[in-house]
Amino acid sequence: MNVLEYLAVLLQTGLGSLAAYLAAHVLLCLLPAFFIAGALSALFPKEAVTKYLGRDAPKWISYPASALGGFVLAVCSCTIMPLFASIYKKGAGLGPAITFLFVGPAINILAITFTGVQIGMDIALARITLSIVFGIGIGLLMAWFFRREEEARSQAAGNGRAFSHGASVPARTWVFFALLLAVLIAGTLQVGLLTDSYATFTLPSTWAGGFQSWLDTVVPPNPSLGIEGVSVHGMLLIGLLVLIGVAAWLGLNKVDEGVNGWTFAALGLISLTLVVASFKVVAVDNGPSTSSGQGLNVGITGKLIAEIVLIAAVWWMAIRHFGAYEVQDWLWEMWRFVKQIIPLLLVGVFLAGAARSIIPATWIETLAGRNTVWANLIGVLFGVFMYFPTLVEVPIAQTFLSLGMHRGPLLAYLLADPELSLQSILITNSVIGRKKTAVYVVLVTIFSTLSGLVFGWFVK
Amino acid sequence: MEIKILGGGCAKCERLEELTRKVVEELGVEATFAKVKDLDAIMAYDVMSTPALVIDEEVKSSGRLPRKEEIAEWIQAAQ
Repeated sequence: MNVLEYLAVLLQTGLGSLAAYLAAHVLLCLLPAFFIAGALSALFPKEAVTKYLGRDAPKWISYPASALGGFVLAVCSCTIMPLFASIYKKGAGLGPAITFLFVGPAINILAITFTGVQIGMDIALARITLSIVFGIGIGLLMAWFFRREEEARSQAAGNGRAFSHGASVPARTWVFFALLLAVLIAGTLQVGLLTDSYATFTLPSTWAGGFQSWLDTVVPPNPSLGIEGVSVHGMLLIGLLVLIGVAAWLGLNKVDEGVNGWTFAALGLISLTLVVASFKVVAVDNGPSTSSGQGLNVGITGKLIAEIVLIAAVWWMAIRHFGAYEVQDWLWEMWRFVKQIIPLLLVGVFLAGAARSIIPATWIETLAGRNTVWANLIGVLFGVFMYFPTLVEVPIAQTFLSLGMHRGPLLAYLLADPELSLQSILITNSVIGRKKTAVYVVLVTIFSTLSGLVFGWFVK
Repeated sequence: MEIKILGGGCAKCERLEELTRKVVEELGVEATFAKVKDLDAIMAYDVMSTPALVIDEEVKSSGRLPRKEEIAEWIQAAQ
């Protein structure tokens, strides 16, 4: 194969996975997840969690609080380091601080939903459960190893005033979170009640069938490599996403100063896109002779009804029960996450897709095709030395999976990648010192390898 | 007046500085700006989460982006 053809293949698989990804995964999973992350960041008072992390808190409260606190506190990576440092220096001490550092990146809402939809609910659940259990375990071990220094330090530490402010979360905020979460779950949960069509109709169109076969030649589906094709429905959704991008840029960049027409256009388009994505659409082509046999077969799914009701409820609550500034703040945070994460994610998905046609499947199979200690260790080491920005580890993992990686080592990789990159090791080092960091890194390596191995025994 | 923005260069911190500078300009107040990025220095203010706004060594807000009117009130009160 000459170089040009080779490049063309790379470009095609890269673009193909990008298009399939945008049409299939981003919408019902990532769109609501960004709104939830924004709401956690803007509407959830951080003091509601940090009050449990002060130095007076008993162990059985401070460890679970720092493990679960990652869910609400760590939605932005820039908040992790100051919190980690202050829990360590002024708060409950080394143990809970380490627990927070370990669990935080794995437990955020974007990472969980994205892993669940793209790789599988089993891995997503294992990722949460194991990181909480091991996070607390590693924290307790660290506190025990360095118990002498800890005692000396807690006497020298300053006051814990930063932790004494308490705050409670108002009921309307809980209800609002529940609604947003329901939008996410209704769109992504694969159960018959939601995915079945209760009524179908056919939109007559003469071009749909032809357009679909053209799409199949441009982006050929290749199940053996895990490459999905793109449907007519998918192209429509990609078009809507582009429109959302334009409207959001004009309407959300300065939304904390005030809303404008574009803000409503963007929000309207987002709602519309979620609804359109919930239809089940199949292009049918029964041959050119019968004009009635051609068109788009549209199914009204349970998901569709659920999404319409829930999105309407979210709009109603945001307008009726929250102040204008709270809503603006929420939207600003949401859009900030999008701007921070989406560009990296698109590049990551493209490269991970293109990589599928470069990396020979036999390599992955030989290195990590079976669930062995060695394979799990390789998964962990790869996670440590390859630094991928937030969430990009997920498409990378999917590439490995389609190339024949065992789910055990895959989980080991997914656990280690966000927790333990060279960059985070350096920062940890500056806060807790070289010796403790070294022990932490060793513990994380051992525990991630173990959890991959144990998980691998349970799945075939 | 001495205004300090605590926080390690995240998007929110930049935005807080931008908003505060705008308010200072609108009110026509004399103020010096400083960015505090060092973790130890930030924690000396007993601040858990960034960005935080400090006016004349007093922490006015932390962990969130205050609205413009709030910032204006604090600055007027500090004069």
